[in-house]
Amino acid sequence: MRILVVEDDAEAATAMVRGLSEAGHDVTHAVDGAFGLLETQKGGYDVYVVDRMMPRLDGVGMVETVRKGGDQTPVLFLSALGEVEDRVTGLKAGADDYLVKPYAFAELIARVEALSRRRETGGVQTVLKVGDLEMNLIARTVHRGTTEIDLQPREFQLLEFLMRHAGQSVTRTMLLEKVWEYHFDPQTNVIDVHISRLRSKIDKGFERAMLQTVRGAGYRLEA
Amino acid sequence: MRLPSLLRRTPFRLTLLFLALFVAAAGAILAYVYFASASEAQARARTDVETELEALTAVHRTRGIDALNQALVERTIRGGPYLYLLTGPDGKIVTGNLSVMPFDLEGAPEVGRGEWSTFRLTSTDPDGRVQTRRSIGVIMPLAGGDTLLVGEDIGGIEEYLARLTQALWGAMGLVMLLGLAGGLYVSRRVESAMGGLNRVVQAVQDGDLKQRAVIRHTGDELDELGQGLNTMLDRLEGSMASIRHAGDAIAHDLRSPLTRMRAKLEVALIDAEAGKIDGVDALGIALDEADHLLKTFNTVLAIARLQAGGAPDPKLMDAAELAADMAELYEPAAEDKSIDFSSEVETGLMIEGNQPFLAQALANLIDNAIKYTPAGGAVKLRARRRSSGEIEYSVTDTGPGVPEEDRERVVQRFVRLDNSRTEPGSGLGLSLVTAVAEAHGGRVVLDEGPGAYDGFGPGLRVALVLPPASLS
Repeated sequence: MRILVVEDDAEAATAMVRGLSEAGHDVTHAVDGAFGLLETQKGGYDVYVVDRMMPRLDGVGMVETVRKGGDQTPVLFLSALGEVEDRVTGLKAGADDYLVKPYAFAELIARVEALSRRRETGGVQTVLKVGDLEMNLIARTVHRGTTEIDLQPREFQLLEFLMRHAGQSVTRTMLLEKVWEYHFDPQTNVIDVHISRLRSKIDKGFERAMLQTVRGAGYRLEA
Repeated sequence: MRLPSLLRRTPFRLTLLFLALFVAAAGAILAYVYFASASEAQARARTDVETELEALTAVHRTRGIDALNQALVERTIRGGPYLYLLTGPDGKIVTGNLSVMPFDLEGAPEVGRGEWSTFRLTSTDPDGRVQTRRSIGVIMPLAGGDTLLVGEDIGGIEEYLARLTQALWGAMGLVMLLGLAGGLYVSRRVESAMGGLNRVVQAVQDGDLKQRAVIRHTGDELDELGQGLNTMLDRLEGSMASIRHAGDAIAHDLRSPLTRMRAKLEVALIDAEAGKIDGVDALGIALDEADHLLKTFNTVLAIARLQAGGAPDPKLMDAAELAADMAELYEPAAEDKSIDFSSEVETGLMIEGNQPFLAQALANLIDNAIKYTPAGGAVKLRARRRSSGEIEYSVTDTGPGVPEEDRERVVQRFVRLDNSRTEPGSGLGLSLVTAVAEAHGGRVVLDEGPGAYDGFGPGLRVALVLPPASLS
């Protein structure tokens, strides 16, 4: 995946470039919004990772310009500001996701990969398939092989998200944000309990466990 | 207080200004009174003299000079306010109560024109003092060569006017004196009251927040100002103290995890150098500790921002929906700990709030309840409308509860009761809930739970009470 990192803090940028490269991505770094904008015009990127506060052209300005130019490449906003209103302005400017510094690398990589995937699945799907797991979005039914799996509404949403990001790591924070649509710190690992319930429904009695725990990151649904 | 500095004082300047205005107005009124009464008195005297003159000339016209002479004699004897003098064609006095034709004043008019003239009469009173009095009169030539003067002594009027003038000047002087004295008094009083306030402000500027203005209980605006200043200082002192306390507490509470992290890193370094352990594990532990520290910092920051600026960006939202979502989110975690989790949510509880902050507050309450309730206990989340119309979230548990005397303390930052020290936590949970409640114009109420039973309880009931959305 080709990723453009726009970040003025050299140290943070170096760490980010290294982390994303090690995760197997092709990373280019621009030192501020203006250079970032020039780079976006070359095209060919899958995701832009843009820092909020930068000299010359800041993140909001850059993303707004990018969007005005008709470039719909997914944008992940990075910011040291964690306030709700900052998140709202960031998303309003055209960003697709928002990550507050300091963050865990696993979180950054998981979000970047989730963004790029979103772009690929453009069309409306009615059936999701991961390995022998099949979800019918119209009938709201889930089968693993021939066994029908009975899920609660929230478990269904949770599994849908995992299936849409199959093969990728998703973090607990991402699940809380995207499945429950809440932004807060749940203190205990409430998400883990929901995952383990879901796991017992989709993996119990089957030879191979699909729902994997990724140490230090979160979970991954494997085909 | 020296005069130049006094002149710079607002109350004294105002007094002077009002005094000047008052004196000008009073002067105008008094001048009007003076001129009006002077001309009025003179006009009356003239009318009287003219009437008398007419009567006498009528006597002369109809009955001749002798009858006139007779009438004059009678009038002189009878006495009266008028002056008479009849002279013959030779200029000699025939009759009258004047000894000379007094034409020595203001240019004697030519006899025979019947014009008004002003003159002074000089007489000697019984004590031998010479008196000069102003008079007016008309000299009328009569047919036959005689000349008649009829006049009136207007010295009385003059005296009256002089006395009036004197009284007016006196009054004016008194007004100025009283005004000045009043101005001085008022400005000194204001000065002393303001001086007290100024001293307090100065002391506060110099960093002494203990100073307070003296309240004199007069109920005037300066007292109000002083009271306002004192209230402001109380709040300021309170928040300074809480900042100081928070600073101390942060330093104290962050020191232990920092120390712990440092020790772990050091041990890991030694062990790794000796080839005893994998450095990765140690780094993982260190990362966890760093994350915990960051979380503490973020919470402290959130509390401070809430306390400083109220709820950011409140929106109309359904409190019931949030409660239902939170119940759904936490129920499995409670069940995992063998805690009976239940919820009771009324519908349509509209509030104006910041959803992420309220969610965080509820999460803290539910998390606390689950954390401190032993297995086999129960936790209940309720959302309802109080009879007062307020919206209340409450979380009740069957844990050990909080003794009544500690309830006020546990909502403070970093306060953790001794029996909770074994559980992980920063001691910021309830402080954040309180800050969220207060930023929404609400409050947090701590009560005993359902009471003690079967080794459980007495439990804790924490209510987050919020004002309902205004109907506008």
